This record gives sequence, structure tokens and C-alpha cells, in this order.
Amino acid sequence: MMRAIPWQTGEICGPDSAKAITKAAQIERDIKKAKKPVLVIGSEALTQKHRKGTMVDYAIEFSKAAKIPIIATGNAIKAFLEKGFDEVSRMGAMELAFYLQDPEWTGPKGNGPFDLILVYGIPYYMQWTLLSAVMNFGDHMTAITLGRHYQPHAKWSFPNMKENRWHDELDEILKMVGGGK
Amino acid sequence: MKKRVRIKSDEATTGLGRFRGLEISIGELVDDDWDEPMGPTPMPGPTTLRSWDHKLLSRYQPSYMPYCQVCCLCTFGKCDLTGNKKGACGINMQAQQSRIVLAAANIGTSAHLAHARHLVDHLIDEYGPRAPLIQGPGTEIHAPITRLITGMRPRTLEDASAVLDYAESQLAHLLSATATGQEGHWMDFESKVFHAGMTDHLALEIGDLAQISTLDFPQADPEAPLVEAGFGNLDPEKATVLCIGHNIVPAAAVTDYITEKKLGNEIEVGGICCTAWDITRRDPNAKVVGPISWQLRFIRSGKADVIIVDEQCVRTNVVEEAQKVKAAVISTSDKAVMGLPDRSDDPVDEIIDDLVSGKIPGVYMSDHKKVGEIAAKVAIALKPKRKKKGILPSKAKIKKMAADCKKCMECVRACPNDQPVQEAVLAAQQGNFAPLEEIYHNCIGCARCESACPNDYLLHSWMVKAAEPSCDKEKFMVRTGRGAIQDTEIRRVGQPIVFGEIPGVIAHVGCANYPGGGEDVHHMMEEFASRRYIIVASGCAAMSAGQVLDEAGKSIYERRDGEFDAGMVVNVGSCVSNSHIAGAAIKIAAIFAKRNLRGNYEEIADYIYNRVGAVGISWGAMSQKAASIAAGFWRLGVPVIVGPHGSKYRRMLMGRADKEKDWLVWDARTGDRVSVAPGPEHLFYAAETVEECNVLTAKLCLRPNDTSKGRSIKLSHYIDVHEKYYGYFPDDVWTYIRRDSDIPITLKDKILGQMKENDWEERRIPDPTLLKRMIMSGGAD
Ligand code: SF4
Ligand code: SF4
Ligand code: SF4
Repeated sequence: MMRAIPWQTGEICGPDSAKAITKAAQIERDIKKAKKPVLVIGSEALTQKHRKGTMVDYAIEFSKAAKIPIIATGNAIKAFLEKGFDEVSRMGAMELAFYLQDPEWTGPKGNGPFDLILVYGIPYYMQWTLLSAVMNFGDHMTAITLGRHYQPHAKWSFPNMKENRWHDELDEILKMVGGGK
Repeated sequence: MKKRVRIKSDEATTGLGRFRGLEISIGELVDDDWDEPMGPTPMPGPTTLRSWDHKLLSRYQPSYMPYCQVCCLCTFGKCDLTGNKKGACGINMQAQQSRIVLAAANIGTSAHLAHARHLVDHLIDEYGPRAPLIQGPGTEIHAPITRLITGMRPRTLEDASAVLDYAESQLAHLLSATATGQEGHWMDFESKVFHAGMTDHLALEIGDLAQISTLDFPQADPEAPLVEAGFGNLDPEKATVLCIGHNIVPAAAVTDYITEKKLGNEIEVGGICCTAWDITRRDPNAKVVGPISWQLRFIRSGKADVIIVDEQCVRTNVVEEAQKVKAAVISTSDKAVMGLPDRSDDPVDEIIDDLVSGKIPGVYMSDHKKVGEIAAKVAIALKPKRKKKGILPSKAKIKKMAADCKKCMECVRACPNDQPVQEAVLAAQQGNFAPLEEIYHNCIGCARCESACPNDYLLHSWMVKAAEPSCDKEKFMVRTGRGAIQDTEIRRVGQPIVFGEIPGVIAHVGCANYPGGGEDVHHMMEEFASRRYIIVASGCAAMSAGQVLDEAGKSIYERRDGEFDAGMVVNVGSCVSNSHIAGAAIKIAAIFAKRNLRGNYEEIADYIYNRVGAVGISWGAMSQKAASIAAGFWRLGVPVIVGPHGSKYRRMLMGRADKEKDWLVWDARTGDRVSVAPGPEHLFYAAETVEECNVLTAKLCLRPNDTSKGRSIKLSHYIDVHEKYYGYFPDDVWTYIRRDSDIPITLKDKILGQMKENDWEERRIPDPTLLKRMIMSGGAD
């Protein structure tokens, strides 16, 4: 198997780096065993395409299927609300990076403390720093990134996937949590 | 009368123990007839203000996001610091991160301090040690930062030099704290970061004061001239000297020479980065080319015949780039010699011959007096030879070359802004240049894409070529730096600011590492200027703001005046002029509240923190200097927002809005502990998008001391921008209501509902302070 490498070439992290998701099934165990997962969706989800919609639509479908709350960062929340979806709260990415370090933090709506974050859509380098905070100071949590590009600070990340393949895997993951019908 | 100043700092007691400060002995300062009593902390040592720092740091905890998880600073290492491991020296991950933050703040401070030192020494040579320091009319409280920190009023260049002696001693201590086996706890590293920032502001103030006093800059002038900016404003018929960096001295030698020899019809001078501000402050006929990110595109356009580099933010391969367009380089700073031969002692004519013939690519000249003549003569001689030839390839050539693209994506992976370079190259293959032009507008001009390309395509040049028609049209007017804010202006706005009726002072400062182009800065400024906030600007951000023109072709500087007042846009000047922004906040305490400044740092910072709704924004913060400037604001209690790239500073200073006990203040009137709403909620924050930055800006202007009228005005803006950019009514408004009269009247029903839902209770509006000793009936910290 090819070694996964960071998307932005200079963003080398350290001794530990994420395991590459080559098949959706690899992350099933972590997702299923999580008691309090949360989806973290950044502002780039608004413009990232998925099938006929965007990665905002994907998040909504995912959230509904898996019954996982969403925290939208940046200004992404507006897109969710405009789609009539309101199972979403808003926090800044850097606020989240800070609050997630606290094992007792119960989340913006009290449905934490989270034990799994699934994240995508924050600008690559910023998501990189958020995940670094989680990796180094939030070890009560598992982090999985569902973005197309490799994020070494997560536990699991796609390894800079070809776009079509990524969409296929995302659909598989959606199916895994009971969606995509 | 003069005396030697010896200061022994107080012992400080903190949660970490009892620490003895340093004894400081510095050069000579004028012991003047100032009747203001000396405050408790003149010339603070590295630990003198530690307890103030700890107050801030316990409310705003560092949130570390390790950018690198190993340490390689000494030969014990590399040390792996992951998973609670410690380095061979015993350091842990948090301390290591804070140590790197301190290293950055030290680097930034050293750049400003060395710049100020060079200016002051040079100006003493030129004008003598007794040349007076003058900030301008209406600035009786001149040098507010120096007064606050050192307890002295610098009157002459000689005094300025003595203030720098103190600053240099502090920097040496701070730098030493980063050595292996010195400081060990994050809290103390962070306190030293603040100390570096404070020292930085001192250097900024002295540097700008010295040049304002002697070099014919606008002096606290709200009507500082409008000057021409942009690529299109440079006359291709004239020889062009481009000055890059921050130090006016060599650039001034050129403009002076042109004026003296009446060469204005033959040559023009343009600046990039802060030198652009400082040459136009001195000579409004000079041009602002643009921010730091436009360096490469301008050099490659071939418009410059001679490139003078001074210090800071200079592209370090400037000689290589200049060679490509056959422009001559003159390096003028001992900090950025760039590998060029030192020709300072050679006859001018020989140097000119060597540069014009191309025998050497450039020279290093430590003697700035000769620079004016050499630059002017070389530019005039080179112009007909070079014919302003750039290296932008023709579109036909780009199209042909692009056919060989390997589709390897290396350009995209190298791009800090994740621009779709490969896609644009493939479009160019088909003769469609629109995508390349699009990238140009989001590009920070770093050329990393080029370095990565296996085909050695000059991709940045391709973008510039694609955007050439719009570049050539790029002409806009910017108001050059005015310098300090007048006391009279402060007198007028002090009360409405402190009471909240002018909802805030927003300063856009810093570099051009924008995530999506400089227009964003204009957008943010306009959003709040139209809401009657006072907008202050400096540095590259101030240039970018001028780029966007309205339908009548007017820039924000033509639409809005330069007074320090509601709805105005106030360009203070270059990086060193950031001191006037901090200075204005300090002067509000002195003028409006009649607080003593002299050696009284904590009290004034406490005042600013609790009362002055100021926010700094550095949307394109890139440098260590931006870090040290920000650190100076943190210690003064002014929150700073940076763009998303700022997350790479690897630590934020964050408040916990959900922890009520974090937001207790003393009520100075009664001595009670009073809980206040989180304001400002964070001290250092990287926003992901412009929209997030706007909402946070409105929120961070809230202060515990707001009057009811002020609070309701600030809340109306916060709610309005929140609804505009997030699409919903903010759910934390109720936490900011202390009594009914705080409620913005038009939103009453909604807010009352929210208050009811959350079991709101009325709260008192205290006379807020973090310092127990400020309690009127007496208290000790
Ligand atoms: S400074 Fe400390 S952590 Fe860094 S390499 Fe040396 S021993 Fe290791
Ligand atoms: S020069 Fe522009 S497009 Fe190229 S890597 Fe830098 S920012 Fe990206
Ligand atoms: S790096 Fe060069 S060869 Fe590779 S995709 Fe980009 S332009 Fe093409």
C-alpha cells in the first residue's frame, strides 16, 4: 500500500500520523463504538460538490441517518439553516480546537462530552492545526477526517484520494450509518 | 539635570511562587521636570508584570496546536514530545509550544528594535543628539507608550536612544529564556511573550517618533495627503526605482536626490511594503506599488530599473529575480546584504559603471548617502537598455508550454491557498486564461507552485500575464500615514468610546498573507465604518483596503476622512506606526479618565481592557513581527483576530464563555466580586472566514464597563452582523444583558424571550477592574 502523505507538501507533522482509509469498512468499528460522536463541518463544505449537491447536503444526510449532531464552523451554519436543517450549532474552528481539549466539555447543546469527531470542510491547514490540538491534548477522543485530503493528525484519514473514488467511499460510509437510501 | 537610571523591579507573588525580579541599569535619561508622580513599574523587567500577565492568562488560556511535534533546538534532540513525552531537557509539549511562540515574538521584536536603533543612530548622526522629538500639533501627551513603560518623557533623539537601551536589555533577557535549560513552564513563557510584545511597542513608538520628528512626515495630521497607488500609476516613460522593505533612510536618499537634481520628470520612486508608506509620508510624489505579496509580480513585470532593498519582508531571492529582468539591486541593510559585494567605500562612478554594464548584479551599500545618486543614475542609464522588459511570457508561449503539463498536482499541493493551479494550466492549454487570472486575485505571490513544478513553469508569471490587463488598470488613491492621534481628537471621542456609544475602534494591520485576496480587508473595513466604528489601519492591510473602488472610482480613503472619529478610516502609516494605535488607547485612559501614565502599566492596561472596545485585526498576518505587535496588544488587554493562516501561529488565547467563574471582576466602587459577561471573549483568535471575523469583531468590542446605551448599541450591531452572516439570531445575547435598559429597543421581544428561557437575573454594572488595589476603599493584589 502506498504511504499516505500530507496534501500540502510542507505540512509534515511528527512521529505519529493518521491511518489511511482505503475502504470505508475500516472506520466502521470506530464509528459504531462511539457513544457521543459529532460531525464538524467547515466553510469549504459549501462549495465542495458531492453527487448532485454539496458536502453540506452530505452532512445533513449523514447527521439524519446516524443521528449525530453537527457543529458548523466559520459561517457554514447559514447554509444548513437555509436548507431548513436546524440540528446544527455553530462554533469557531479555533474555539472547537480549544474546547475539545477539555474532557468534561459537554458541547454547545449539552450532548457531549464527545468521544468521536468526524470532520471536513475547514481549510486544509486550519483543520490540520485543529486536529493537532485534538491529537496532542484531546486523547479522550478519536478523530476521523472525511475530507479528500490526507490529514496526518487524525486517527483515520483518506489518503489524497481521486475525487470519484472519494465520493464512492463517502457513499459507503453513509450506507454504513444507515443512510444513502 | 541628568541621572543614571537604576530600577529594581518588585518581587512578584503568583500562583507559581515568589519570584525576584531583575535589577536594571540603563543609559542616561533626562530627569525632567515632569510633575506626574512615578507609577509602580517604571522600566519593568521580565517578571515585573508577571502577575498582570497571569491574570490575563488564567482568563485567556493558551490553546496549543503543535505545528511540529518534535524539538530540534539542541543536540540532545531531536526529541519526540508526543503523548506526554518530555524532551531530554525536561520540557513538555505545552512549554515547547509556548517557547516557540516566545521565539517568534522575540524575532519580531528584534526586527522592530534593530530598525528603530538604526533610525535613531542614523538620525543622531544627521541631526545631532539634541534634535527634538515632535509628534505633532495637539499631541501634548507625546510618546504615550514610552511614558507608560519607562516612566520617562523622551524629548530628544538622545533620550530615544536611552529608551532603546532599555528595550535592548529586555530583549536580551527574553531571548536567553528560550535557550535549552532556561524557562520551563508555559505560563512563564507566555508572560515573556507579553513582555516581548510590550518591548516591541516601545521600539515601534521610538522608531516612528524619531522619523516623524526629523524627516518631514505628516505629524498627527488627519489630512495627510492622498497618494497614488497600484501598478497602473507608475509611468512607463520614466525610469523607476523600487524600494522594498521598512526603512526609509535609503529610500529618502533617492527621493531627496531626485528633488535636489530636479529629476522628477525622468524618474519615479515606488515602494512595496512599509517603505511605501514611509517614502510617501516624506514625499507624496512617490508611489505606493502595493503590499508585500506584490513583490514578485512587480519585479517580474520589468517595470523597475533599480531595486533598493532595505530591511524586513524582502524576498530573500530578490537578486536572482532581479537578474531575470536585468534590474540592478542595491541592498542597504546590514540585516539583508543578500550576498552582494560591499562597495560602500568605492567611488560612485565605478559602482554605477559596474551596475549599468551588468558586471555585477547588485551592490551592498552601507553608506546611504551615496545610494540616492547611484540609484538615480543607474535607473536612468538602465532604462533605455532594459526597455522595461519583463519576463512575462506571451499567452501564445504559455499555451504552448502548458501542453506539456504532467498533471502531477505538485503546484496545487505546494500552494498555501490551495489554488487550482493545475486546472488553470490545463485551461491555458486550450487558450482559456480566465482561470489563471482568477488565481492571480487569490494569490499571495509566494511562487511555491513554481518551485514545485517539475517542468519549471514560471506559474506565478503566467498568472500575472493572464491578469495583465487588469494589473495595468490598477490605480487607486490611498491616504498616507498620518502618525499619532491628536489629544484633541481623543478628547472628542474618549467618552463615547468608553461608554460604548461609538461601538468600537477596529484596527486593520499587518501583512498580506490573505486566504482569498486583499479585497477582504476592504470589505471588513467598510462593514464597520458604515456602522460608525472608528477604523484604523496600517501596513500592508492599509494598502489592500484602498484597492477596491466604488462606482465613482473612489477608494475608501477618498470616501472617508482620516480623522479619529466615527465612520472614518485612519491610516496611521507603516508597521512602526502601529504604536499610535496602542498610543490612542493609552491616551484615552490619560485624557478621558485622567489616569497617570507614568510607569503605570498595569493600571492603564486594566483600564483599556475593561473599557476601551478596541479590536485589532491582522487578516493576512504572516510574520513574526505581526506576532510581536499582537503580543503588545494582548498585554494591553486588546484582543486580536487573525485570518485562517494565523492558526499556524500554533496557539490561540481563548476564553471560556461557559465558565462563569472565569469572568469575575472587582467592582472598584464597592470591593465586591462581580460576575460580568465574557467581554472580550477571546484575546487571540484565528477566524476561518471573513464572515466569522465580522461577527467576532462586533462581539469582541463589548466591555464590562459599557453603559446601558453603549451596550445596547454594541449588541444591536452584534445581532445584526450575526443574522446577516450566520442567518440566525445569536443565542447568547441574554448573557450580555445586565439590566432592562441594555436591551436594544427594536429587538426587545426576542431578547426578553431569550432572557426568560435562560432564567436571566439582573446584574449590576460594576466599575470593573482586575486589580484589587484599584478598589477605592483600598485593596491589595
Ligand atoms: S531543547 Fe530540549 S526538547 Fe529541544 S532538542 Fe534540546 S533537549 Fe530536546
Ligand atoms: S504563487 Fe500564488 S498560486 Fe503559486 S503557490 Fe503561491 S499563492 Fe499559490
Ligand atoms: S506542477 Fe507543473 S507539471 Fe505538475 S500539474 Fe502543476 S503545472 Fe503541471
